[in-house]
Amino acid sequence: MDTFAEILLVAGSALAMIGGIGVVRFDDLFSRMHAAAKAPTLGLILVAIGAAIEIGTVLAATTLVLVVILQLLTSPVGAHALSRASRRQMTIDLDDVDQLTADEQSASDS
Amino acid sequence: MNVLALVLLSIGAAGFMFRLLRGPSLPDRVVGLDGLLSIVVIGIIVAAARSGSGGITIETVLVAVFVGFVGTTALSRFIERRGN
Repeated sequence: MDTFAEILLVAGSALAMIGGIGVVRFDDLFSRMHAAAKAPTLGLILVAIGAAIEIGTVLAATTLVLVVILQLLTSPVGAHALSRASRRQMTIDLDDVDQLTADEQSASDS
Repeated sequence: MNVLALVLLSIGAAGFMFRLLRGPSLPDRVVGLDGLLSIVVIGIIVAAARSGSGGITIETVLVAVFVGFVGTTALSRFIERRGN
């Protein structure tokens, strides 16, 4: 059981590291946001499960469940607020077709 | 084994720190700050599991998650109002 907990700790940390690498290597704001918002959240869930197994008290497990729920609720909200604000306020160089601008133009034409 | 987890977290923190220092725009820096704080949260949990005791170490994480959310949202409002 202890080995399982340590595997979970290392796997979650590796996911957080993958998020950090993606933030460096992607060359588009929204791609970076995609790497930074999702991978560390799953990493936090894995690490919390591993730490709850390794510590083994009910108080620690309850607090970790609370932390995971809080992160799952707040991480998408923060990422959405940030992407909405930057999409509205700034000109961002995308690496592909900007479908949202085309849709908005066709909606305002009709 | 826990040391390996901390080493991996350090590599990830270096990536987020790079984006925080050298983001071309303000939202890039916000992405770096947010990710750095989630790395810190994961690191505190790993350190608590390493010491083997829950207690006040775990409760620090709750505060850190809240601070990260409030900071990201406040900076988003700032960007939405002022631009760039």
